Amino acid sequence: MSDYGHDLLFGSFITPTNADPQGPVRLAVSSEAAGLDVVTFQDHPYQPRFHDTWSLMAYAAARTERISLSGNVLNLPLRPPAVLARAVASLDLLSGGRVELGLGAGAYWDAIEAMGGRRLTAGQAVTALSEAIDVIRGVWDTSTRQPLKVEGTYYGVRGAKRGPAPAHPVGIWLGAYKPRMLALTGQKADGWLPSMGYLKSQQELADANARIDDAAAAAGREPSAVRRLLNVGGSFTTGTNRGFLQGPVSQWVEQLGALTLEHGFSGYIVMGDDERSLRILGGEVAPAVRALVAEHRVAAAVTR
Amino acid sequence: MSRDHGHPVRLGVALDLAQLPPHALTGLAQVADEAGLDLLAVTDSTHSIEQVSEPSGPDPWTTLAWVAGATSRITLTTHALAPTGPATVLARAAANLDLVTDGRLELGLTVVPAAADGTASPAVGVHPDAGALAETISILRSMWTADGEPVRGAGPAHRVPGADPGPAPAHDVPIWLSGTDDTLLDVAGRSADGWWMDATASGVDPSSVSSAQFRLDVAARRARRDPAEIRRLLTVATIPAVPDLVRWVVEDGVDTVVVATTEPADIRRLASEVAPAVRDLVAAARTARGTRSGPSRPARVRAARRDGIDYDDVPAGLETVEPGDARYAGMRSTYLRGGRPGLVLLPRDTAQVAQALIWARTQPVPLAIRSGGHGISGRSTNDGGIVVDLRHLDDIEVLDSATRRVRIGAGARWGGVAEALEPYGWALTSGDYGGVGVGGLATAGGLGFLARQHGLTIDHLRAADVVLADGTIVRADEQHHPDLFWGIRGAGGNLGVVTAFEFEVDQVGDVGFAQLAFAVDDLAGYLQDFGALVEAAPRDLTPFLIVGRPRGGRVMAQVMAVVNSDDPETILDRLQPFARLAPLVQQSVQVMPYTGVVHRTDDVHDAQGEPVTRSAVLEHLTPQFAEDAEQLVRSGEVYFFQIRSAGAAVNDVPVDATAYAHRTANFQVVALGASRERLDRSWDAMSHHYSGFYSSFETDLRPERLADVFPDRTLTRLRAVKTTYDPDNVFRYNHSVADASAQASPGGVPAAP
Repeated sequence: MSDYGHDLLFGSFITPTNADPQGPVRLAVSSEAAGLDVVTFQDHPYQPRFHDTWSLMAYAAARTERISLSGNVLNLPLRPPAVLARAVASLDLLSGGRVELGLGAGAYWDAIEAMGGRRLTAGQAVTALSEAIDVIRGVWDTSTRQPLKVEGTYYGVRGAKRGPAPAHPVGIWLGAYKPRMLALTGQKADGWLPSMGYLKSQQELADANARIDDAAAAAGREPSAVRRLLNVGGSFTTGTNRGFLQGPVSQWVEQLGALTLEHGFSGYIVMGDDERSLRILGGEVAPAVRALVAEHRVAAAVTR
Repeated sequence: MSRDHGHPVRLGVALDLAQLPPHALTGLAQVADEAGLDLLAVTDSTHSIEQVSEPSGPDPWTTLAWVAGATSRITLTTHALAPTGPATVLARAAANLDLVTDGRLELGLTVVPAAADGTASPAVGVHPDAGALAETISILRSMWTADGEPVRGAGPAHRVPGADPGPAPAHDVPIWLSGTDDTLLDVAGRSADGWWMDATASGVDPSSVSSAQFRLDVAARRARRDPAEIRRLLTVATIPAVPDLVRWVVEDGVDTVVVATTEPADIRRLASEVAPAVRDLVAAARTARGTRSGPSRPARVRAARRDGIDYDDVPAGLETVEPGDARYAGMRSTYLRGGRPGLVLLPRDTAQVAQALIWARTQPVPLAIRSGGHGISGRSTNDGGIVVDLRHLDDIEVLDSATRRVRIGAGARWGGVAEALEPYGWALTSGDYGGVGVGGLATAGGLGFLARQHGLTIDHLRAADVVLADGTIVRADEQHHPDLFWGIRGAGGNLGVVTAFEFEVDQVGDVGFAQLAFAVDDLAGYLQDFGALVEAAPRDLTPFLIVGRPRGGRVMAQVMAVVNSDDPETILDRLQPFARLAPLVQQSVQVMPYTGVVHRTDDVHDAQGEPVTRSAVLEHLTPQFAEDAEQLVRSGEVYFFQIRSAGAAVNDVPVDATAYAHRTANFQVVALGASRERLDRSWDAMSHHYSGFYSSFETDLRPERLADVFPDRTLTRLRAVKTTYDPDNVFRYNHSVADASAQASPGGVPAAP
């Protein structure tokens, strides 16, 4: 039972289909209009029916004014990290600090290899992601003029140009499930961004959180240095509780509030590409969950 | 000797990321966009700076994608971008950015020599030689040709085992190459669409742009290419004098000049003073010299051209797609019919439609008009002919909210129309699918899910803009060209090209949408009962019935019905009787906006082969019809058999009010089969049940079908209208009503194939 005390974020999870090229852009604009904090996009560069997520994000960033944008999560094996770091920093500068970096080690290795990417085992991919984070943070660090050197098996760099530095401290959020990925999340990441659908139970959430906490502590970091975000699916109905996030607004508020207060989650990204759900999420659910959580946090502070 | 190859002259601005803070860059891009410049190049001069201790500038590709979102009309290009990472990913990024900007993207590439900064590391993914660039270009073009073949790259820089191709970009994205070393010139001569000279730094002296191209021309000829098809671009540091610009174009063959500047005033002056002067002088010089103008496609595209079309004679300014173009795959075919047109014309407005039509008449090949390309009849494509594709005419505008008057372009699709009307609480009955185009449906009838309450789509038409066969543009309504206005409501494909429709739409709130699946043993009995229930039902109910091929002797019937009410009790009341027709195996009833029923989709229509369909309208589902229909379904001959409600409000309209004359029918049926011969035999044997046919669903082209589509009196009147408005039978590829004699009339009209 832990609440890390972060401000709450509510966001959308957009499938970047290109059959109607402007469709995902409209959903991003609607997400902003709905009052959401962040719009996120799946990234499957090997899928011809999808936009290139990174280019779509840059385009959508120019079409919005306030909302933050992130991949959910970007595919590292097909996006070289030094280039990605420059791209993310550039868009953060252009958009006035509205970019976060959701990043994944890669899955669907057959498809990655078919595109000309390098096939790695799951274990190798975690090591590669760890090296990539060092490269990315190194590129962003312009406090030194020393050319960037990163030792590594997959993404070693010997003397690369640094910069640009992003406009704000961009959070690196990892899609992580297995122990080594969770450990890396605790050790180096700014956020954890799993999908509820891949987690079997609330107990699994708690166990994973504990692994991240332990790894953070071992690396000398506060567990609260890692924001916990969650991709969730669900639907708004007028009837009764039909399961997790399958019910009326009041049920959503209660269940998301509990995830924050009991499991420390502070970001909820809702899947479904559905404008009506986004409006309800931003207009009704978000304020109510914030109020509920604020009330409990105040009460907890007073009790202490 | 002049090198001028008559390419359109373009003036642009180059924004250097090394010199501009991000916020200034966005502002300058918008100035260039609004000022009307042709091209905006994003460049990064830090590529050439070897000092790795200097921080890197912004990422050019990301910046370009951002600028794309911040602008609305200007063409965008990278300049001297060094590709990083997998070429397959760059291909998708470029194609999709071109799609989202509706064809505003170009790609300027180069090679950056491996520097001391470790760019060859997989973390950066630069492939530092011209050979790698050649591989990249080959992969880009293969990925953009979305024809289904896996894309392979043998390396050494890009080893691609077999990527799925696609998407195709919105237009053929040209690839410009920068660089002056021999290996790069070889690549440019072999495979680039243009070569980009840079006179801002140490590259090219503006006074020697002609001699600098000599080596490129040699490289092109060595690759057996006509140097004329390689465009020439030039970056200069300051706004040149007009005479210099004109000389570069008409003497030295440069067609695109971009000025590297950070001054908004420069950009405005370039657009408002320099560009018009240069264009006028170049046009005059070209006229004087007899230079042939117009973009010429590369040899690889020209090789795919068809006979009978004078491709180089297309009116200037008209967008075209040819069989060799990347976009062709997504435009050649319709929903159910494969096509192989020789040329697709994509007019931007009504005037261009007229221009396209006048020109198309001079070409001795078939002509098709396409809005969405969904028509079951497949008349919106052809083989070897011209297609006038109206997709760009897709504006939807509310003219008067008091009378619910809405103006809709022929190229819009019904899902988009539903979406545009929803915020007003309005809807316009259309078909049963959002991907259908407005033009084809709204000139044939339009039998949709609100038909029994609100009639046909054409019953809501109040006025239309029509381009006639001779290119004249007229407005047709009850007062102006009333005969034409009558004719386009049911026989539009015979009379002209409607480019915009003015409809009076209906107030429609949320509706009940039911999908009920039945396991049917006695299909004949089921159809009779279904027919009786529909005829007796209140008008707020419009059901459609679909039957597929029987499986294991069992017939599955699916009823899709809209109840025009958001009241659950009313919805259930209307549907309950249907639930008793046969055992229900699946059911779903939802209250949703009309946009949930006819929803936006931008499916690409890419069928192959010829559809085999027959259609009909009939008054009642009589016992005799039902028995014949059961026999047809059980024969396995048809794989799709649909019955639509076509009565109630549809039949309030007098039979002679529109060219759609089936105003006594309560039902419309369509069958899709595998064999033309067998389906025709079965269907012809059932013809005594029918009172007519619906043209959009009919692929039987025998002349006697004409009398089924248009009853006697309608046909007589239509022929008179046809004689007035299309005397030369230009529009003869869609159930033409013209007499055989009219087809041989003089006037330069080619014989039908």
